[in-house]
Amino acid sequence: MSKTILSAKNLKTHFYTNRGVVKAVNGVNFELSCGECLCLVGESGCGKSVTALSLLRLLDSPPARIVDGKVSYGDIDLVKCPTRQLRQIRGKDIAMIFQEAQSALNPVLSIGNQITEQIKLHEKISRRQARDRALALLEEMGIPSAERVIDAYPHQLSGGMKQRAMIAMSLSCDPQILIADEPTTAVDVTIQAQILEIFRNLRARKQMSFIFITHDLAIVNEIGDRAVVMYGGRDVETAPVSQIINNPRHPYTKGLIACLPDISKTEKRLESIPGNTPNPIELPPGCPFHPRCPKAMEICNRDMPLPITISQGHTVSCHLYT
Amino acid sequence: MKYKTTGATTSIHAGGRLASYYWQRTRRNKLAIAGLAFIIFLIFLALFGPFFTMDPTEVNFEEKNLPPIGFSVEKSTYDIETSEFTTTIIPGTWKHPLGTDNKGRDLLAMIISGARISLLVGLIATGMAIILGTIIGVLSAYAGGWVDNALMRFTDIMMTFPFFLLLVLIVFIFGHSLIFIVLAIGLTGWTGTARLIRSESLSLRTREFVTAARAIGARDRRVIFRHLIPNVMSLIIVITTLSIPGVIMAEAALSFIGLGDPTWTSWGIILSAGQHTLDTAWWIAVEPGIMLFLTVLAFNFLGDGLRDAFDPKSNI
Repeated sequence: MSKTILSAKNLKTHFYTNRGVVKAVNGVNFELSCGECLCLVGESGCGKSVTALSLLRLLDSPPARIVDGKVSYGDIDLVKCPTRQLRQIRGKDIAMIFQEAQSALNPVLSIGNQITEQIKLHEKISRRQARDRALALLEEMGIPSAERVIDAYPHQLSGGMKQRAMIAMSLSCDPQILIADEPTTAVDVTIQAQILEIFRNLRARKQMSFIFITHDLAIVNEIGDRAVVMYGGRDVETAPVSQIINNPRHPYTKGLIACLPDISKTEKRLESIPGNTPNPIELPPGCPFHPRCPKAMEICNRDMPLPITISQGHTVSCHLYT
Repeated sequence: MKYKTTGATTSIHAGGRLASYYWQRTRRNKLAIAGLAFIIFLIFLALFGPFFTMDPTEVNFEEKNLPPIGFSVEKSTYDIETSEFTTTIIPGTWKHPLGTDNKGRDLLAMIISGARISLLVGLIATGMAIILGTIIGVLSAYAGGWVDNALMRFTDIMMTFPFFLLLVLIVFIFGHSLIFIVLAIGLTGWTGTARLIRSESLSLRTREFVTAARAIGARDRRVIFRHLIPNVMSLIIVITTLSIPGVIMAEAALSFIGLGDPTWTSWGIILSAGQHTLDTAWWIAVEPGIMLFLTVLAFNFLGDGLRDAFDPKSNI
């Protein structure tokens, strides 16, 4: 196992709203190794995106507040380090890709301007050099006629092109870690395939670690090394992707895998997990999944299950295995 | 690594830049273009007109109250020796195409130099108000929390304060200097702008590109000036064009009630001087009045046109 580059310990991010405290992230743990692609998987509202934003403290405070936990990058705690230091890490060491390129690109700045802005924030570099680098990055992303695209505004580009431009932007300072928040959700399947291809190529060529957030298990299977399954603001199961897909242990993960349509069977109805995701204002006591869990026991209602390592690199938080 | 692509650049308009796109849209509004033409004409008049007209301060009582070209007035003189009234008809002359005032000053020259003052006051005071309003509005929206609360309550207080009374007070305390009039208008006129810019920025702030800007390591000041303000630029342009006439009117109104700067012949000053002779020499008040009316109308037409052009929902 290579060394850990980023780790989150008991990360808790709460939103203080008029209707109560929204416990969006309520104790997430994971470790990202060098050169690895770690997937955060879960339904909408399970806290994946908030986790990603919390890593770089990008949430507005108020209403959001990281109430507890630690995010270690090297020997820096990103939760507590001064903003100055954090700004130098943002974009340079840890870059981020957002779900919708449409809204993540500034509509009044040209693509080239936005890419060079990031380069110039972190490096002393002439305008000419920055532009050349931006151009090279765009070409690397497979954008045809990059010379034209670099001076285009976001509204002049198609969805796939925007997504690529954003990836180019995030790569402009050669970050160590790339956090991708559902980069394939807002694009159609052909673009999705191309974007995954870009990621695969990046992994092959660069020493870069990825945190890939998605709700799509097919994508996890496609590009992930390890996966963290999240539910109700917590990590419920962490394992290598092959384990998650073939040997899920947590009842929630089992449910998710069972939901995947199987092309070899001709079933009429798709499987689903009964019930809804818990209300993050009033999380159920004990294990957040127990109201929907087919194997719920009496203890699940009372105690929060602790993570248990059941095999090498495979941990599960469930009372079934204690 | 090259990939096949499905999308190429789509060209909405030939020029490429957004500005040219908005210009295309504005151009379709005839009234806005007429307004713009008048404003440009006015600016030229204010810049270069005074070089071609006579001295607007030159007093000549021999030629007082001359009517403009195409009009004439009857003038009765009483002859003591014959005890008779003789009525002579005095027509307008080309020497004074717009006539003269009660001190025989050339009205054309006065109005052209008045255009200078009115435009200058309008532009500088509006500029001040817009800059203040934009900064306060964006800051308020971006910072949120108690900063937002404090700034907006301050704005509320400024708004409830009777604007004109405040102007009168400032001018009364600091004197009739044009600088103070400009300062007074600029320092009180930002409230509406601040409100509008704040509400626009509030919705912009939640957009992902603001988070993205912070994610690349930009500091707050940079996010505000490079990412937020350019996005409210269209709103700023519209507010500016629509508030210039208000400011010009405010200056005219101040001058009209006698709180203007008497050393400068602004339109308001001419107007107020002419009000006493409306029955005998109506043109003194009417001419600057028409100029004020046309200027305000031109700015309003242009502002309306720009607002429609910048509004993505309007179909023009």
